[in-house]
Amino acid sequence: MKRRKFDLAATPGKAAVGVDDRFAVATPLRKLLNKVFPDHWSFLLGEIALFSFVVLLLTGVFLTFFFEPAMTEVVYDGSYAPLQGTPMSAAYASSLDISFDVRGGLVMRQMHHWAALLFMAAIVVHMLRVFFTGAFRKPRETNWIIGSLLFWVGFLAGFTGYSLPDDGLSGTGLRIASAIMLSIPVIGSWVTSSIFGGEFPGTIIISRFFIAHVLLIPGLLVALISVHLGLVFKQKHTQWPGPGRTNNNVVGERMFPRYALKQGGFFMVVFGVIALMGGLFQINPIWLFGPYEAWVVSAASQPDWYVMFLDGSTRLMPAWEINIPIGDGYVIPPLFWPTVVLPGILVGLSTMYPFLEARHLKDRKSHNLLQRPRDVPARTAVGAMAVAFYVVLTLSGGNDVIADKFQISLNAMTWAGRIGLLVAPPLAYYITYRLCLGLQQHDREVLAHGVETGIIRRLPDGRFVEVHQPLSASNGHADGHGELGYVGWVVPKKMNRLGALGPAIRGFFYPIEKPVEAPVSPGHPPVEARPEREAIGSGESRR
Amino acid sequence: MSTHTEHQAPQGQEPLDVNDPKLTRFDIVREGARRDDIEIVHYEPQVLPGTKAERRLARVVAGFFLITGLAATAFLAIYIWWPWKYEPGRGGDKFYTPLLGLTLGVALLGIGFGILTWGKKLLPKEVSIQDRHEGAVDEEGRTITGQTMLYMADELGVKRRPLLGISLLAGLAPVAAVAAAPLVGGLISHPHKNNQMFTTGFHAAEGGERIRLVREDGRPVRPADISSGGQLTVFPGIEHGVSNRHADSPTLLIHLRDSDAQASRRANERIGHGDYMWGNYAAFSKVCTHAGCPASLFEQQTNRLLCPCHQSQFLITDNARPVFGPASRRLPQLPIEVDSEGFFVAKSDYTETVGPDFWERP
Amino acid sequence: MTSDNDRRRGLLARLRGRPAARSRGRRRLGAAVRLFAALMLAGGAYTVFAPGAQAQDNPPLTGAAAEGKALFDVSCVTCHGRNAQGVEGRGPSLIGVGAASVEFQVSSGRMPLARQEAQAHRKPPLFTDEQTRQLAQYIQELGGGPVVPEGDELREGGNVAAGGELFRINCSQCHAFGGGGGALSSGKFAPSLRPATDRQIYAAMLSGPQNMPVFGDNQLRPEQKADIIAYIQETLKHDQDPGGFNLGRYGPSTEGLAIFLVGIVALVFASLWIAGKS
Repeated sequence: MKRRKFDLAATPGKAAVGVDDRFAVATPLRKLLNKVFPDHWSFLLGEIALFSFVVLLLTGVFLTFFFEPAMTEVVYDGSYAPLQGTPMSAAYASSLDISFDVRGGLVMRQMHHWAALLFMAAIVVHMLRVFFTGAFRKPRETNWIIGSLLFWVGFLAGFTGYSLPDDGLSGTGLRIASAIMLSIPVIGSWVTSSIFGGEFPGTIIISRFFIAHVLLIPGLLVALISVHLGLVFKQKHTQWPGPGRTNNNVVGERMFPRYALKQGGFFMVVFGVIALMGGLFQINPIWLFGPYEAWVVSAASQPDWYVMFLDGSTRLMPAWEINIPIGDGYVIPPLFWPTVVLPGILVGLSTMYPFLEARHLKDRKSHNLLQRPRDVPARTAVGAMAVAFYVVLTLSGGNDVIADKFQISLNAMTWAGRIGLLVAPPLAYYITYRLCLGLQQHDREVLAHGVETGIIRRLPDGRFVEVHQPLSASNGHADGHGELGYVGWVVPKKMNRLGALGPAIRGFFYPIEKPVEAPVSPGHPPVEARPEREAIGSGESRR
Repeated sequence: MSTHTEHQAPQGQEPLDVNDPKLTRFDIVREGARRDDIEIVHYEPQVLPGTKAERRLARVVAGFFLITGLAATAFLAIYIWWPWKYEPGRGGDKFYTPLLGLTLGVALLGIGFGILTWGKKLLPKEVSIQDRHEGAVDEEGRTITGQTMLYMADELGVKRRPLLGISLLAGLAPVAAVAAAPLVGGLISHPHKNNQMFTTGFHAAEGGERIRLVREDGRPVRPADISSGGQLTVFPGIEHGVSNRHADSPTLLIHLRDSDAQASRRANERIGHGDYMWGNYAAFSKVCTHAGCPASLFEQQTNRLLCPCHQSQFLITDNARPVFGPASRRLPQLPIEVDSEGFFVAKSDYTETVGPDFWERP
Repeated sequence: MTSDNDRRRGLLARLRGRPAARSRGRRRLGAAVRLFAALMLAGGAYTVFAPGAQAQDNPPLTGAAAEGKALFDVSCVTCHGRNAQGVEGRGPSLIGVGAASVEFQVSSGRMPLARQEAQAHRKPPLFTDEQTRQLAQYIQELGGGPVVPEGDELREGGNVAAGGELFRINCSQCHAFGGGGGALSSGKFAPSLRPATDRQIYAAMLSGPQNMPVFGDNQLRPEQKADIIAYIQETLKHDQDPGGFNLGRYGPSTEGLAIFLVGIVALVFASLWIAGKS
């Protein structure tokens, strides 16, 4: 008995030895377990996209068990009474069945749709983080390009998914998509006719979109995501500057156990939020839109939010038709510019941005330290300009809803969008640029003169001055105004932030007060690692 | 790699002998990290074992997992016993999906926050610094790999034996085309088969009957069916006329008021469509010339037709000319009249191309 | 055409057209006599107005219509003019619009107008149901026109599935898939159907208020109108959403808003907490 028990306890160890004998994985495994990741909340935004993609795969597989991607006409006889007896496509009928006749099908469908919206939203938010902090610079240009492609492939995944239920919105979206393809000069009608298998809508488009949506596009997404993550792994994550952090190291936590646990927990939180939204917020009530019929449309027919900017650009486009008087005459319809040319330009600009910036700045160095947006006013302002452009277009994509609910004239909304598209981006550029400069200046002032204490002192000659708490010990100047260099990280601006370098805000919503520690200079990162100063590296200062 | 490790080992320390029985397990962990160029510079338990704080945190984590258990059980119970079949009106079945989402969400959040609290509060805090090996590109390695590849290219001898390269290209290019051919060839479809882009369901066969305008239920339409200021969606009275097979055929039949009808007739005459209306009735394609949505928001006082997709507005009394928005082409008008039985018929097919614009539209 | 109308709604068929107005007047005679008596008792100002109007070349008004005229001359005459013939630049003529139109405009509070704007808005009605009926009767007797049939539950017998199909073809392009309304050109709009009663929807279809097209009884038979009303009232309004909170049924635009305001915000807070140093 005793001997046997001993064996049992040693089994995992023995098994591990056996595995290592055969595969020699011990050292690579250790390297993996030990990999260091920097910790900052903004580094988790991309994870949201990754985790919602996992949820998309899980719920999507469930949906394929019940969805029938066919356009054959059937007469609905499911449980939803207000559509009983209505002729419709098999795709729409099976989507209704998922919603009403499959137990728990509706919550799955809604989770799938919310996860898709979250996936795209997280991609955009993550992309903004990467852009504004300069994380796309050498050596990470490739990953930036892959990330941009992920947005566009996700866009396609979303659009094909939106088209599958074959309800009123799907069909209207497909109709517009076919018109967009038609508008391409020279080959437009051939492209449309080939994709739709004849004249719109044909009988095959749902099956083609289905295989694209469940196999081709997810396959591409998986591949791109794998490379994206692999590169993050290989190149190691960027980090914020700060004491102890250099371009040549990574300061953070080893992957196991704490970092991995946090990731696992965060996955569950993302999954949980999607489940809550899938249950509590109704999304795309296909049963109200009815089956797609070419003559039926609803007011406020819109695409999902990530396509709305294209809808907006289409709405704002003036009716400029280009006629080419050769032979019978040829046309370039106004639809071509905002839906084919504009996305083309956007793809090009967004993927090429890292190279454009590096070329402009003649910067060929590798950068592993992030930049605070205020420290690079030109880039931040360009980003703000792009965001303003995108927001005007997205709002214009819903301008009929805005017009209706806020009682504004629809035509006025269109004109506001047209003017806004020209005025808002430069304005955003200017304002952001000035804001950045102002913030920079304030940082420099605090570094030079210290933190405002709120104490007003009256001088003998009757003047009032505010007492400043210098950040550094006196360095020869009698008034204690030592010049401090700026290291690209947060400058404490309040007395109770002194000594709390980095993101060391204790307490979640409100900083927890604690005895003021000796002021620490952010300008002089520790040369020799003393325990308490290393702790500061990640903001840790508690003992 | 190992040389690097030694090089990076702090202050030229020799690697530890990991079999030294005096070492603690953490010493070995730290040594392992060192070999990966990682210095664990700070490692501190957040709660000491056996303290009140530890027990409290353990209870919090346990509480989260307990919530998960309860919520998951509730999910199963609801899934099995809650009435879920759709009933019209308000009833318990309408709470089935929200309850499933709620219990599933709570269960998942419970695991999530349990794990997070565990990892965040119970595990020791650490700060580790890992070397990136940036800037210290292995020049030697680069040279070796480069030379190896060049050597391999030389061995293949494509340079020396150009025939090989040329024949390889000549052989492979058609193979690539072979891979693409079935895809392209299978998908490609002639857009102007049967002149399909220029005709609609109202196109009568040679010498055949003129095609009636019918409603969505297939009944033909009489002038008295539409009140003044009214509009009706009509379809070609052919087989499958009221279906997506004739997605370009839905037409809006509008009964204009007297004064508007006069304006409309004058506008028709200006462009040589003098006989397109019948009485005060005019029929326009319902398919927007911009992106193909049904332009069907008819404003009977202003005689504007609005498309809900991109807000193009067409003035019906001026040959459905686009007056606002992105559409650049007027809606085609269907010439109509009333046959001997008193039903609307199309005099001919549309005389302009219906639907969104494309390159070769004449 | 009439035969299938008569199948279910003989009453409606009788009510349609010019003879319908007469018969309706006859049926209302009893009530009218009582009202007229009450009017005589009240005496004073009312009797001054009533004969004044009757003295003109119009046929004599029934009691209810006379009451309506009195109300008209107080509240509506400014814009619609004497005998509802309209005032250039202020209000259209009401000759021939019918009781349906009056009922829709007055019972939904759109008339009297608060101010001149692109389109009248729904307000709490100024007149009681009885007064509305009187006004409607007055306009009806002046020039005839469409009349809403009797009864408050006009959806009765309607088939929601048939109604849904008709709704999607005829109504959803302006009033939106959920009946929440939508924008039209230059500040005009299709109103939300949520506050509308059966009679108001019926009256709107018959009379085509403002920019709404007219859906006469030849186009949508009374039972088809009942189907549509049943779909609006029972499915769109009464049927609870099975998927949770409907986000106002604005379609993808509010869904996009929700994913940022709820999803992204919640998860950003979560990541702040996870990466925070507490």
